[in-house]
Amino acid sequence: MRNWLWLLLVLALGGLFYWGMQRNPKELPSVLAQERRPAPDFTLPVLPPYREEWGEALRLSDYLGKKPIVLNFWASWCYPACYEEAPVLEATWRRYKDQVLFLGINTQDKEGEALRFIQQFGLTFPQVFDPRGRVGVDYGMYGVPETFVIDGEGRVVVRHAGAIDEATLEKYLKEVLR
Amino acid sequence: MGVWVFLLLALGVLAQESPASPPPDLSPEVFAIARELRCPVCQGESAAESNSGVAVEMRRLIAEMLGEGKTKDEIKAFFVDRYGEWILYEPPKRGVTLWVWLLPVLGLILLGLGLFAYFRPKKPLPPELLEEAERRLKEPQ
Repeated sequence: MRNWLWLLLVLALGGLFYWGMQRNPKELPSVLAQERRPAPDFTLPVLPPYREEWGEALRLSDYLGKKPIVLNFWASWCYPACYEEAPVLEATWRRYKDQVLFLGINTQDKEGEALRFIQQFGLTFPQVFDPRGRVGVDYGMYGVPETFVIDGEGRVVVRHAGAIDEATLEKYLKEVLR
Repeated sequence: MGVWVFLLLALGVLAQESPASPPPDLSPEVFAIARELRCPVCQGESAAESNSGVAVEMRRLIAEMLGEGKTKDEIKAFFVDRYGEWILYEPPKRGVTLWVWLLPVLGLILLGLGLFAYFRPKKPLPPELLEEAERRLKEPQ
């Protein structure tokens, strides 16, 4: 009888350890995406190269609920991840221009360096400037780069941490374009 | 004399370099709250210790909210609303994370029981058993 008890205890502990080892400690929960919450609104200044087309400041709620939005947080100091994904974002934006709005949020950066980055990759989707990183906190952002996919109803459905690759981005877009 | 002056100067330099002392522009209250929040980028540190951009912004937000007259609980709730309970440096004492607090205590109790069982004074053997054993020893093989 007592032996059974010990066996049970060992099995329970073993099970707990096994479960613990299957968990990914780097996986970061996103309250927004898990609960499909409405995307937090913000108004941020538009970086100079985009002012002609998008105005001095951009308010997210002006664009929410019209078509899906890909919100990308980045910084010029974020090497190499932001440099890896910039061409991917630009290429995908050119392909989906009519169906999805891509919006870059340059976060905790210096304007001059941000402009150099934009020029280096020839980014044509609108870019706004958030030197304090206040909007990032509203989105529960951990670090750059981070990409949020907002569906046609203005709800956050995906949070992708780290550099995004073309296949993953396409998969997310298909989900919100269905 | 010169040595003492030098030592005093050296101590002064050391005192200035302490990274734990809060920069003068934010009140200690800000850091007290930030210490209970996790820094999102550098997960082993609290938002009070880290100098990453997010942690700096978190401290600034805490200072602003304190200025608006918000309480500590309201400020913590603000961050939990955005990051989930993950952002709390100490896991809350309820739900699944209650086990984090209970298991060490349970483990200690189990250990204590085990040690007690192991070191408990043994009951002396009944005399008839001892006699039996001695008789067998004396018997020729």
